[in-house]
Amino acid sequence: MPRSSRRSSGQSTPTNIGSPPSKPLFPTVSLRSSPPSSHSALSDPPKSARTSLMNVLTRPRPVTSISTTTALSIDGSPLTPEDEFFSDQSTISSYASSVMSGMSSRQASSEELAKLYKDYLVKPFVNTKSTIKHSEFGHDNNPNWRWTSQWNPNEPIHVAEEPQPAYTVLLMTYVSYIILIVFGHMRDFLGKRFYPANYAHLQPHNGYAALNSDFDSFYTRRLKKRLDDCFSRPTTGVAGRTIVCYDRVSNDEHDTFQMTGTTTRALNVSSYNYLGFASSTGGCADAAEQAIRKYGISGAGTRHDASTLDLHKQCEGLVARFVGGESAMVVSMGYATNSTTLPALVNKGCLVISDEFNHASIRFGVRLSGASTRVFKHNDMTALESLLRECISQGQPRTHRPWKKILVVVEGLYSMEGSLVNLPKMLELKRRYKFYLYLDEAHSVGAMGPNGRGVCDYFGIDPREVDILMGTFTKSFGASGGYISGSKELIDRLRLRSHATTYAESMTPPVLAQIIASMSSIMGVAPPLAAPVQDESDTLSIVSRPAAYGPAPSGALPAWMNLPTVLLNGTEGRERLRRLAFNSRYLSSGLRKLGFIVYGHRDSPIIPLLVYHPAKMRLFSNCMLHRIGADKTPIVVVVVAYPATPLITSRVRFCLSASHTKNDIDLLLRACDEVGDLLDLKYATQTMSVEEVIANAEELVAANF
Amino acid sequence: MSDVPLRSQSSTTEIPTPLLPLLSILSSAFLFVQDRFRRIPGSPIIVRYIQSSYQDDPYRSLLEVLLLAFALRTLLKGRTREEGSGKNFIKLTEKEIDDLVDEWQPVPLIDAPGEIDEETLDSIPTIYGPNGIKIKLSPGGKPVLNMATPNWTGMMENEKMKEVAITTLRSYGVGTCGPAGFYGYLDVHMRFEAEVAAFLGVEACIMYSQGFAAISSVIPAFAKRGDIIVADRGVNFAIQKGLQISRSQIRFYAHGDMKDLERVLQQVEREQKRKGSKLTKKFIVAEGVFENDGMMLDLPKVCELKKKYKYRLILDETQSFGMIGKHGRGVTEFYNFPAKEVDMIVGSMATSLATGGGFCAGSEVVCQHQRINSSASVFSASLPALLATASSTAVSLLQSNPSLLTSLATNIAAFRHHLSKIEPVSIPEQDSNSSPSSQANKDAIIHVPSHPSSALIHIFLLNPPDTMEAEERLLQEVVDELLSTSGVLITRARRLRGQEQFEPEPSLKVCISGAMSKKDVEKAAQGLRSALIKVAGKKR
Repeated sequence: MPRSSRRSSGQSTPTNIGSPPSKPLFPTVSLRSSPPSSHSALSDPPKSARTSLMNVLTRPRPVTSISTTTALSIDGSPLTPEDEFFSDQSTISSYASSVMSGMSSRQASSEELAKLYKDYLVKPFVNTKSTIKHSEFGHDNNPNWRWTSQWNPNEPIHVAEEPQPAYTVLLMTYVSYIILIVFGHMRDFLGKRFYPANYAHLQPHNGYAALNSDFDSFYTRRLKKRLDDCFSRPTTGVAGRTIVCYDRVSNDEHDTFQMTGTTTRALNVSSYNYLGFASSTGGCADAAEQAIRKYGISGAGTRHDASTLDLHKQCEGLVARFVGGESAMVVSMGYATNSTTLPALVNKGCLVISDEFNHASIRFGVRLSGASTRVFKHNDMTALESLLRECISQGQPRTHRPWKKILVVVEGLYSMEGSLVNLPKMLELKRRYKFYLYLDEAHSVGAMGPNGRGVCDYFGIDPREVDILMGTFTKSFGASGGYISGSKELIDRLRLRSHATTYAESMTPPVLAQIIASMSSIMGVAPPLAAPVQDESDTLSIVSRPAAYGPAPSGALPAWMNLPTVLLNGTEGRERLRRLAFNSRYLSSGLRKLGFIVYGHRDSPIIPLLVYHPAKMRLFSNCMLHRIGADKTPIVVVVVAYPATPLITSRVRFCLSASHTKNDIDLLLRACDEVGDLLDLKYATQTMSVEEVIANAEELVAANF
Repeated sequence: MSDVPLRSQSSTTEIPTPLLPLLSILSSAFLFVQDRFRRIPGSPIIVRYIQSSYQDDPYRSLLEVLLLAFALRTLLKGRTREEGSGKNFIKLTEKEIDDLVDEWQPVPLIDAPGEIDEETLDSIPTIYGPNGIKIKLSPGGKPVLNMATPNWTGMMENEKMKEVAITTLRSYGVGTCGPAGFYGYLDVHMRFEAEVAAFLGVEACIMYSQGFAAISSVIPAFAKRGDIIVADRGVNFAIQKGLQISRSQIRFYAHGDMKDLERVLQQVEREQKRKGSKLTKKFIVAEGVFENDGMMLDLPKVCELKKKYKYRLILDETQSFGMIGKHGRGVTEFYNFPAKEVDMIVGSMATSLATGGGFCAGSEVVCQHQRINSSASVFSASLPALLATASSTAVSLLQSNPSLLTSLATNIAAFRHHLSKIEPVSIPEQDSNSSPSSQANKDAIIHVPSHPSSALIHIFLLNPPDTMEAEERLLQEVVDELLSTSGVLITRARRLRGQEQFEPEPSLKVCISGAMSKKDVEKAAQGLRSALIKVAGKKR
């Protein structure tokens, strides 16, 4: 229905963005799907390609009356030529713009809009042959809405000073916390006197100390509990593009929740499903089913006893190949990968230097190891260098004996900040200060880099320069567990010394199959199974490394695994990588233009939006789920507060996925805009209206700011 | 004010002329500061206050200045310890630091592997095709009997569980893509938690995504610095790590020795009384069936002591859940003891239900506390849905088929009977009434401490060689011999030498399954006996 309305209105032809008609406008696979003007600059360094993009950006725009109002007015705002252009060029029209153009002649009622969006989450608005459900992986064929995740040396890797809101905002945040704490203590004081039964489990009783004292649990009981309806929402089905949440109510201030028996399907911008491989249909799920039929579901024993399957070895070979390491081992739980490997690497007399925002599993592992720990300011390479100089020159505490070895542990992409490690600088320091580098790529592997191989790929750095590469399969690969990769000697040694291989259960066959299938479809499989995709635009890349990041050899796959051709030849994987890169950059840039304070790198699929006030977190989450906007499409978001973040910088965290279509991001931007205005969250200056942002998506993505 | 120019005038007589400009600059600066200070509103009050307080009590002013200095120092000092200003800090020039940096040579990231390490690595078997009772150790090789993987009730090859897993896969996919707090808490998780709680007869249950990580995270979720943990000396590695991370005060009692446990508990009580310290949380940590030797915990006695001395019990049933008791509820069912009496029961779905993941069952308060405070639950993605539903199916199978456990018991008894012929004390055979009294066995070469109903059997050599390495080699020889002659795969217990709290003695590990035929089990036992006699017997 929206499509037909689109046809009737879309008449105008593309004006600029200089597309030579002789060339196929959008090759099925090209590294950078920027406007084709960049193709003419193939021989030039990437910088010039970007400059030409910038020229596109600076072209005059038609003067339109910009309404800086909420998303309720989307029907009223006029169409920009960009909309017309994109809709005509693409095989599918932009859903939003089609809606708008259909309505542009008259004022659409919100009921009509709501009706249009009724099946938005489950029904694609074009016919598609794909077997994957639209609700799990959105169909988006427009080749314009693609980008390549790759380091641009002109963009800073990490800005030292995050944008700050007005002091009043910080002050009010502190005041909010003070009020919460005061009220909490008052309630405790009165509660203990009037309802002692409710506090019994917090008091010593019968000679037993309380399991958690009222003091220790104060934050949980009096602050977090107020937000409890935003956390641990029970769900069902696949955590794909959309997710089905159970509706629940609480009549006792979040002490207990009662299921109402109904469910809500919502747009999912919360799960770590970066490449959209979490799916109940499609090639990967088929492979997992085959594995269950052939191997069963058990990971019963430990790897050292009789529980190493040939499937484990195949998976480990493929993982090593994927990340560019010499050898690899897999562990059945991502958290345990860190916590059981680090103690095998360092011990007493060694020093671990750790980023302040490192994950809990790293801290757990370091504590187990018995090594000394020092912490440096998040991503601050100057602080790291001075710390290294101090530690090396001072030696061990008291004895001044030199450290046996120094292990620097960092993450590739930080899960709460969206910031990228400054790997080039890190390796410079590594050469000078001779420390060993442990890189946790839990979030970055699969999500970053032109080939999806993580931050090394993103920065064009040889992965062998990093001593230990760690990552998880939970995120990009839609499976579970983690891996460690490095030199063969290292991995052999870890197999003997890591806690997981000796004492923890092995990975289960369906999980292994999911990893093998998703990973090989990102890599593509070399002949004789299928021809690899020739990627001519590779010359554009800063470093092209076909040797390190080649396709998987056909022998790396189990013989019984039948993957569809689109997975085997790598087109599907590449498409997903480029969709994710576009979505991430688009949302991150869009939110900044709308005046939100957004942390992190623009290429990061993790996008934290700063909320500050504790009360606004809950409001934000609930306003997204029960939308006030006309489209009424529910969105589930993750809100994060202390102790996962510093006390005042409470935030909403979006995790984007390749499964999101551009329309999904448009929808999200409109929702953020409306909630942002409602809750006064636009702490920075707004430079574009939401409709402008949506209309200029491609330019925003290509822009350098 | 007036005295400053005076002083400078008077000094002209004594101080040489070159210093004059300097002094004049100083005096004008002083005047300037004084002037500025006077302009601050309320400055006369401060001056008056300082003057009067100095007159009244000079020590007080001194104290105030010191306090101010201390506050400033604390504010300016770095937040972490040893921020380079400690007593032990040596100030070095940049050049010296550069030299030290150049000189410093770290040791290699990994130490060179020893000979035994290579052997260990080579001795890890790889299974080609599915794991189960009969496995292939080479592509297209001869099937061998697998007595090395825990598969107590034969769930590993259960077709019903596979079908359930596939059905789940088709609506949930594989991964959950998030921790329980962030939309990773599925209805199938809730269902499994409710089912396990009902199965055990406790209030609630919480799922973990790995069995190993469960117990090592449950302990530090409750036990903190200053708390007291009394643990069995023979606890498994995961518990040891949990104890280590908790930073509590840890006491060990002799393995399986209830008298020693009481002694330790009394000792702790005495110490607490003497110190008069405030009430702290106290825990006893033990295993149902010990992973390191297959011995069983005397649960009624432990519970009696825990009540007497006001301790909470953390019971690791990783091995015993699904193995012990009429329906496989673990040691609580074996002793006919209400599971509610145990504060936290930790189990693994990987060992007992042949799927993956772990759980902790207990009261509602205990489980809710973990959802927020247990590191491996909060910071890890939840268990894949298909493993949760398959586990649910396995639990209902256990509940409805007591025969699973009886056939396991039969197999264990058959196996143990054959082994007992080379044990110091023979187990009398029930059917043939020969020698009912336990007699000293002259042919004894092994010692099996495992409980008679434990499907996990550890075999220790009676007269081991002098070094642990030699003993490990000898046991590996037994494993190889058994595999080549009888086609039975067992394993020597793998240890992390150098990382264990108390180095366990080397042993052979045998896992009996109820799904094995009795004939196979007997053949395996006979094969093992002859292999032991052949390899270990000749060394005597």
